[in-house]
Amino acid sequence: MAAPGPGEYFSVGSHVSCLTCLGQQLQGEVVAFDYQSKMLTLKCAPSSGKANVSDVVLINLAYVSEVDIINDRTETPPPLASLNVSKLANRARSEKEDKLSQAYAISFGVSVEGQQLFQTIHKTIKDCKWQEKNIMVMDDVVISPPYQMENCKGKEGSALSHVRKIVEKHFRDVESQKSVQRPQAQQTQKDSTLSS
Amino acid sequence: MRMVHVLTSLVGTNCELKVKNGMVYDGVFKTYSPECDLVLDAANIKSPGPSVGLRQEDLVDSIIFKASDVVVVHFRDVDFNYARKVSTDTDNFTDTAVGGRINGEHKEKDLEPWDGGRQQHMVSGSLESLDTDVSNGWDPNDMFKYNEEQYGIKSTYDSSLSTYTVALERDNSEEFLKREARAAQLAEEIEASSTYKSRVALENDERSEEEKYTAVVRGEREQHTLNREKYIPPGQRNREGMSWGPGRQNSPRLVQSSSGPPRPGLHDYTPSSGADQRVVNGGATSCPSPSSRYQSGPSPLPPRAATPTRPPSRPPSRPSRPPSHPSAHGSPAPISTIPSRRMSSEGPPRMSPKTQRTPRTHRVPPGSRVPPGVDFMPHNAPGEVPVPPATRSSSSGGTWSSVVSGAHRPRSPRQNSMGGASPGPSPQTGSTPVEPVNTPRSASSPTASPAPNMAAASSAEVKDSRVQATRQNSPTVNKENMKPLESPPSINRPLSKGPPSMAPDHRKQIDNLKKFSVDFRLQSSSNPDPQFQQMVTKPPQDTGEKSKQLPLDKGLEGSEGPVVPARSNKPDSPGAPSPSSTLCPAPEQNRGPDVTSQGVQTSAPNLSGGAKPEDKEEDEADQMRKSTLNPNAHEFKPRVFTPQPKPATTPTPPRPQGQPSPSIVMQQPQQVYFPQMYPLTPVSPGVQKSIIWKSPAMYHVQMPHMTLSQSKPYRTVPNMTQQRSDQHHPQGTPTMMHPAAGPPIVAQSPAYSAQYFTCSPQQFASQQLMPHYQSQAQHVFSPVIQGQARMMAPPTHGHPGQLVSSTSQYGEQTHTMYVSQGPMPQQYAHPNTTLHPQPSATPTGQSQQGVQHGGNHPAPSPVQQHQAAAAAQALHMGNQPQQQMYQALAPTPPSMTPGPNPQSPQGSFSSAQQAVYLHPQQMQHGYNPSHMAHMQQVSSTFRSPSLHSEYILYEQAHIQSGMVPSHHGNPGHPQMMLMATQQQGGPQPQLAQNALNPIPVSSTAHFSYLAHPQVQQHHQQQL
Repeated sequence: MAAPGPGEYFSVGSHVSCLTCLGQQLQGEVVAFDYQSKMLTLKCAPSSGKANVSDVVLINLAYVSEVDIINDRTETPPPLASLNVSKLANRARSEKEDKLSQAYAISFGVSVEGQQLFQTIHKTIKDCKWQEKNIMVMDDVVISPPYQMENCKGKEGSALSHVRKIVEKHFRDVESQKSVQRPQAQQTQKDSTLSS
Repeated sequence: MRMVHVLTSLVGTNCELKVKNGMVYDGVFKTYSPECDLVLDAANIKSPGPSVGLRQEDLVDSIIFKASDVVVVHFRDVDFNYARKVSTDTDNFTDTAVGGRINGEHKEKDLEPWDGGRQQHMVSGSLESLDTDVSNGWDPNDMFKYNEEQYGIKSTYDSSLSTYTVALERDNSEEFLKREARAAQLAEEIEASSTYKSRVALENDERSEEEKYTAVVRGEREQHTLNREKYIPPGQRNREGMSWGPGRQNSPRLVQSSSGPPRPGLHDYTPSSGADQRVVNGGATSCPSPSSRYQSGPSPLPPRAATPTRPPSRPPSRPSRPPSHPSAHGSPAPISTIPSRRMSSEGPPRMSPKTQRTPRTHRVPPGSRVPPGVDFMPHNAPGEVPVPPATRSSSSGGTWSSVVSGAHRPRSPRQNSMGGASPGPSPQTGSTPVEPVNTPRSASSPTASPAPNMAAASSAEVKDSRVQATRQNSPTVNKENMKPLESPPSINRPLSKGPPSMAPDHRKQIDNLKKFSVDFRLQSSSNPDPQFQQMVTKPPQDTGEKSKQLPLDKGLEGSEGPVVPARSNKPDSPGAPSPSSTLCPAPEQNRGPDVTSQGVQTSAPNLSGGAKPEDKEEDEADQMRKSTLNPNAHEFKPRVFTPQPKPATTPTPPRPQGQPSPSIVMQQPQQVYFPQMYPLTPVSPGVQKSIIWKSPAMYHVQMPHMTLSQSKPYRTVPNMTQQRSDQHHPQGTPTMMHPAAGPPIVAQSPAYSAQYFTCSPQQFASQQLMPHYQSQAQHVFSPVIQGQARMMAPPTHGHPGQLVSSTSQYGEQTHTMYVSQGPMPQQYAHPNTTLHPQPSATPTGQSQQGVQHGGNHPAPSPVQQHQAAAAAQALHMGNQPQQQMYQALAPTPPSMTPGPNPQSPQGSFSSAQQAVYLHPQQMQHGYNPSHMAHMQQVSSTFRSPSLHSEYILYEQAHIQSGMVPSHHGNPGHPQMMLMATQQQGGPQPQLAQNALNPIPVSSTAHFSYLAHPQVQQHHQQQL
């Protein structure tokens, strides 16, 4: 665990490779470095391979055995963009709720399909929650396992029909595109929703 | 920083956090600390196994990881642009913002230039077509076509909108062409219409908002202001304003009474002498007040304004004023200076003479008023002169005086107008002997006309002397002027009358004056009568009161009217200091009588003397004496009414006499007149102050006549002398005044003096008042007169001492005073008109008065001398202090009348106020003694000048139904007249006094009125 010597900097934009005490090799572009806490932030290629996104690794250099600067970058780092804090806070809260709801659902042994459907519906209609293994949408429509169109019950009306369309779309997309096309499925769902 | 930024941008993302022990926690990155402690929400220990089994129990709401425990935190699939504020919304679509949309990648997004051409063609043409195409967006047809192709929708749109309207069928038929042409024609007509253009202009108006709505447009008003400035510049305004403002305003009563009232008194006298003056004066005053206000003198005017009566009187008078002014101005025309302010016609003509005279008279009055007057005078003298005039002018004299003073001229116009008015009246009277008064006036007018010129010249001289010459010099000049004034008194009357007769304007003025005089005559006649009566009465007392008075008044008024004041002063001197003050009023009356008497008796002397300053002085003294006689005449006032008619006939003769000496005499007469005028002025509603004064004078006269005809006359005479002395400052009148004032002061001065003294600081008027009071105490009449003098007479009384001292000190001021006196003379001239009746009634009395005046004059001068020389006398003391005050103030003031005024103003204000109070007290005293309801009323109304004036007016109205109406501006005068008449008619001495007292009170309320009341009261008491 070699602590960076005095004056040992990681200039922003440099590519660094380091080996943690746990034997994990990390490589990425330096985004930030906090000298006091010895925390180094690297931006790495996204593990998901998605475009426009990247993985960020926060490394505590106190637990890094090796630090290699692959290439140094002397250029002035780009200016920091202002952040929408409220938006970040909302994201944090929503993520937490999602996770909690997910955990809630999972705790009741909801099937993956069920969870997937829930995610899909949740993206369109925020007002949905797990009730036991049933998905309660807008307090009007209840989707019970196996979460098929036929399982959508509630007062006849636009709400029910709307939910059914979403469900129908969801499974259709799942079948046609399998796991990969969720986003598209969602979009299609949205479209369908809108069109409907 | 960057760490903070990065971590912040990672908030809300899921992450896997590895700790030292190898445990991995999965959760939502919530926040972090400066020490990089991390917080994960909904965190759970991530098991190596399949991700499914996440259970609710496994989740921890939030876990805080110390930075030291954290090995690696892995954030997956982070979108750095998620929370990036689409940079300020605005640069959302800049190339940078757009290019930055490429998340995380630092490489510049390659921006491709947009080529709308192709796409445009796809739809409906090129961008170019769009640029040139007026169409907004898609052409409807394109949309229809697109919808039809894309969606199979067939539009039923009909461009002709046949469903909504009928298509215009165009054809070449004549019918259509005609209609088309018709339509074009209509359109053209509409577009050519002014309305259309104006409305279009509204939309297309290029003028800025500021120009349209905010910009200050300088039109006539500026000019006015300029004019005002012109007027004001003289410093008169300031001075006047100062003097008046402070003195008068603060001590409206005292100041006004003393200065204002005195002036008014003087004015009144002049006015009273000619109701015309009131009217004119009133007009002038009103105008002046405005003018003075506007120009410079506002102060004087304000004071007047303060005194409601005055304003009212003025307004009424104003109408007449113009005419009167013209006439007055006309005669004075020489005084173009006056015109300068007002109209050239009025200003100069009217008043140059008058103004000069009036100024002098005013000045003199100021002198008699000394406290206020002095202040004014001093103020005026430099620039104050105008002021005094203004104040007086309010009455008329003030204006004149102002006019006289070059600077004041602007105001002077008004004043002039005032004076002119007075002259006008006189002219009227002169021209239209309609009333006795008129005749006197007319007589005076002739003389006046010359006198005016003389006065103007003298006034000019006076001004010069005032300004240039030290006080003494100025005094001398003033004296000369004064003398002229005094002589003018007779002359003044003539002047006032004369001016009208003099100039073409005079004719108009005369006509107006005639009208006014007629109206006024009723009042003025009554007033004059009172005054005259007083005067006459005094003389009568000496000789035959009414008959004598009338004759005397007529004669005196006609020729000596101005002189009469002097005479009155003389009487004062003989009588006592108080007399001087009282004398002023008395002088007025006396003057009227004196004038008449002078005209008849002394007139010759006056005239002769009038020609010569010394002679004038002497004449003044004579007048003073006569004035004393006049006081007696006041009693005769009732008779005077009758006499007035008589005077008309007889007066003229006197006037002629006066006329001869007019030019010189006029000036003196003016002074005399002022005092007298003031008394008279009360009578003439027009001149508020003057009215008050007059009334006092009337009262005084009456009082004297009633009880102490001679003594009163004497008192009055002293006043006259004082006034004259004031006017003449140094010489005779002052001395006269001094004697009169001095004694009175000593005697009564204690309380009053104290009060006055307090007041005195402000102005001599207070002191004068004091003296007057003292004198009053000694002699009711004298007190009254003094009071008047203080109020009105203050000029006279004060003038004697004040003026003298002031003159000496405030050469200019004194000059102003003199100038004011000059106006006074004019007023006197008017008074003469009013007085004339009286004189006519008691010519003999007048003659006696004249004699007395003659005697008085000598005495007065002594008095003045005494005063000047010896502070021993309380009055003198007071006067001297005041004078000193003034002088002290004056020093700066002299040249800078305003300065002094300001200074004195404060002092003067306080003093003036005090003086006012004093007046009330005096009034009260007088009332108390007399126990007259009127007095009480007056006292009650004291502080409300207007009320007093109203009372007076009412009284007058009651007494003289015709009088009041005629003199709108003169309400006060009418009142005075009425009062006088009442007094005269009723219990003559006592009742008259009482009545007079009320009037005086009113006058005092106005200042002059109050003073008069007091004086009257005193007289009554004495009586």
